Amino acid sequence: MERAARRGIARRLHDFLLRPEASVIVVSVALVVYFELSNANFLTDANLQTVSQFVASPVIIACGEIMLLICREIDLSVGQVFALAPFVMEHAQALGLPVPLAIVAALLVCALIGLVIGLITIKLSIPSFITTLGMLFLITGVTLTISRGYPANTPGGPILTGIMGAWGYSEIVWALVIVAIMHVVLRHTRWGLHTIAIGGNIVAAAEAGIAINRIKIGNFVLTSTLGGLTGLLEAFRIGSTDPLAGGSNIMFLGVASGVIGGTAIAGGAGTIIGGLVGGIMLGVMQDGFTLQGINAFTFDIIIGAAILIAMVANTHLARLRAHGPWGGGTAR
Amino acid sequence: MTVGAEAIRAEKLVKSFGHVTALSGVSLAVARGETLGILGDNGAGKSTLIKILTGYHQPDSGGIFVDGQPVRFGSVDDARAHGIECVYQDLALVNGLSIYHNMFLKREVLWGGPFGFLNHREMRRRAAAALAEIGVAVPSVELEVGQLSGGQRQAIAVARAVLSEARILLLDEPLAAMGAREARLIIDLIERLKARGDIAILMIAHNYAQTLEICDRVILVQHGEITFESRAAATSAAELFDIVRREYRAARAG
Repeated sequence: MERAARRGIARRLHDFLLRPEASVIVVSVALVVYFELSNANFLTDANLQTVSQFVASPVIIACGEIMLLICREIDLSVGQVFALAPFVMEHAQALGLPVPLAIVAALLVCALIGLVIGLITIKLSIPSFITTLGMLFLITGVTLTISRGYPANTPGGPILTGIMGAWGYSEIVWALVIVAIMHVVLRHTRWGLHTIAIGGNIVAAAEAGIAINRIKIGNFVLTSTLGGLTGLLEAFRIGSTDPLAGGSNIMFLGVASGVIGGTAIAGGAGTIIGGLVGGIMLGVMQDGFTLQGINAFTFDIIIGAAILIAMVANTHLARLRAHGPWGGGTAR
Repeated sequence: MTVGAEAIRAEKLVKSFGHVTALSGVSLAVARGETLGILGDNGAGKSTLIKILTGYHQPDSGGIFVDGQPVRFGSVDDARAHGIECVYQDLALVNGLSIYHNMFLKREVLWGGPFGFLNHREMRRRAAAALAEIGVAVPSVELEVGQLSGGQRQAIAVARAVLSEARILLLDEPLAAMGAREARLIIDLIERLKARGDIAILMIAHNYAQTLEICDRVILVQHGEITFESRAAATSAAELFDIVRREYRAARAG
């Protein structure tokens, strides 16, 4: 009995360590230890705030992109929606709306953009890679037009501003709440299950009677809305916003967070928690190497190499999990 | 084995696609607890027949009766509502999802209403019970379907149809591309379903020997017509082979 129990624990530990999230957590902890040992300023309140701010934006965006990647779509334009949202808010406020309603108006515009992306992709059978590539340029043009190319100050009183991002940890609190909600959506609702089924086998999903178009379009709306929210949070944190903020950089960091955390680019598999730990790893690296004084050029080389290593590791871990000592249905 | 009342009957089904006549007046009937084997070459009309019975195609003329009542299927959902389920060759399983998620796909058990959360525990329990009832052995219903063998996957697809209250089960080549041991798994499963006595099974197949072993009756479909029909016990594979060989010779003679 005891031996069986011990074997059970060993197997669980083994299964956990083979999960993509686990390896990323191990690497992240190792990085934190390394940065703290080589630079005493890492685990200070001020620096942890900075790290949390590096982490929050990619993680919120990853929550949307992971849902899209799982059902075999992608949104390349989410970083441009990020830049547009604060300007929509400012225009709405200039038209006389109180700031909270202006925030809602901005999020509605972002949701509408997601709806348009979804409808073009689904109804006209355009790959989302292409739809959102077009939207990427289109939205940048709109943002530059309505801002006339100038940065703008973020409106709002101190309490609202604090909640929306000015307090050091508010952005990461938003990110963690969204992660919690999206984790439940993905693992414990029909929406999440059907998203996975669509990416795993679209013919099977169709034969089961799943409303494929509705779910895909819904995930586009979700991603654009989260992109807009992230842009608003950053605008409140910084106090002003730039028409070229966010962009492809923040989009790729979001996608990379998901992929490092084990989301399959080919669809059908992925976890929100993986996106969180992927985002944490990227944020810790970004902050730690900045503290080390590594210059920006070297930093990109390191990030690129880290993404490649994480991808290779995850691919091989997935294979190990399927065929390893405790894998394989009949062998058990 | 008990053969009960008539479950499904088709009368003089005709279906053309443009100038091609796929079915020219096919009639058949299957009782509860009975298994009908449908043999025939590719393009003979077997698939069209199955697709009409599952509501995927609508016949040009002819009728379908379920439990003796005339029915008209405008869609696959209409046929499902009458207890007709088809297990296609592609099996329609999602490899990355667990066995129990696959078995409950689009029929999920939820906590508290249609907007509730997935009741994983209840689905696991019911899936395990359903598999045990029809004698399908898997280590755990939490295993991903992609980790199963071909025979196990086929068994899960059949179990899903049974779980969804199928009373008329259509199996499209259930033994295709399967080794002897794997095939045994499915043959045993079909035997057990037959023994329940409440399910009528229609099975499309190529292998004469296996079909004669599993089925109570067999029909041979050629050029959209039933050219041979007999009780399996009174039929030999050689007999069927002869009919098909005559066909080939006639075709070669032009």
